[in-house]
Amino acid sequence: MAAMSPSERRLQKELMSLMREPPPGVHVDGDQAGQNLTQWIIHMEGAKGTLYEGERFQLQFKFSSKYPFDSPEVTFIGGNIPVHPHVYSNGHICLSILTDDWSPALSVQSVCLSIVSMLSSCKEKKRPPDNSFYVKTCNKNPKKTKWWYHDDSV
Amino acid sequence: MSKCELAEMSTAKEQPGPSKPSGSAQEEKERDERMFECNICLDTAKDAVVSMCGHLFCWPCLYQWLETRPARQLCPVCKAAISKEKVIPLYGRGITKQEDPRNNVPPRPAGQRSEPEANAGFSGFGFGEGGFHMSFGIGAFPFGFFTSTFNFGETRPGAAPRGSPQFLEEQFLSKVFLWVALVFICWLVMA
Ligand SMILES: [Zn+2]
Ligand SMILES: [Zn+2]
Repeated sequence: MAAMSPSERRLQKELMSLMREPPPGVHVDGDQAGQNLTQWIIHMEGAKGTLYEGERFQLQFKFSSKYPFDSPEVTFIGGNIPVHPHVYSNGHICLSILTDDWSPALSVQSVCLSIVSMLSSCKEKKRPPDNSFYVKTCNKNPKKTKWWYHDDSV
Repeated sequence: MSKCELAEMSTAKEQPGPSKPSGSAQEEKERDERMFECNICLDTAKDAVVSMCGHLFCWPCLYQWLETRPARQLCPVCKAAISKEKVIPLYGRGITKQEDPRNNVPPRPAGQRSEPEANAGFSGFGFGEGGFHMSFGIGAFPFGFFTSTFNFGETRPGAAPRGSPQFLEEQFLSKVFLWVALVFICWLVMA
């Protein structure tokens, strides 16, 4: 405990509070995250009354040693990538708080809540228009993408 | 959810002393501690500074964030514009020794003390030579101001009859004095 770096300390605090009071529909794999604080798996359920009701998704968070000054790398992983105009079929998410609008006062919890609300406000399930091109050409790390942010309301 | 918690807390408080659950004191303590947590590292703020928008940070944490994005100096919490120069250090009780200021972090900016508003008129006499001259010049003025306002509009015995050139001149003069006095007072306040 004493030898923890500032970023590990903060991740440890976030993990504790996320396990203690998880937001609705969000569940962190505590054992896995406890083993390796720099990589978390979050289970997420589509909210009731939305197009994603009943669906389950997995989010992967990767943290650099500069977290929280550096934003986490967040992607959907696993067999069910939500079909959404801002989610590419390789799991990359076009969400400004994950790059340009990141702030160290944001947290895993607030990112999860933003993603839940992004899914919940969706009116039509479809992939981004440039999906196939992007998936073929993009870097593995979505943070390397120069995103052109679509309007937030979709 | 949080509303329920609040309701519980308040009922717990209303209960008479002995039956007070030990948990609530603990919760309250936790809440108090959270109030003084840095918005970046989530620890109790060390070398605490507060932004003009009122958000609390450790100085090293805020400094590092401002260095990370020099082009966009925004408050991490509310996105208000902030700058290194415009943060206020918080000094709690008990002198904190220079506890190992982290490497590469400049000292926290010192608190700026502005003197309380200019000590009114004559009380300035005790302040040494400069003060003496200053307040002397100033001190004399309110009398002129006072008399000129006093005269204004009121007919003293022996005053020139209304409408005569002398009356007009007197009125003009007292107005001029009034203005000079006002300007002088303004200058004083600004100085
Ligand atoms: Zn801090
Ligand atoms: Zn702020």
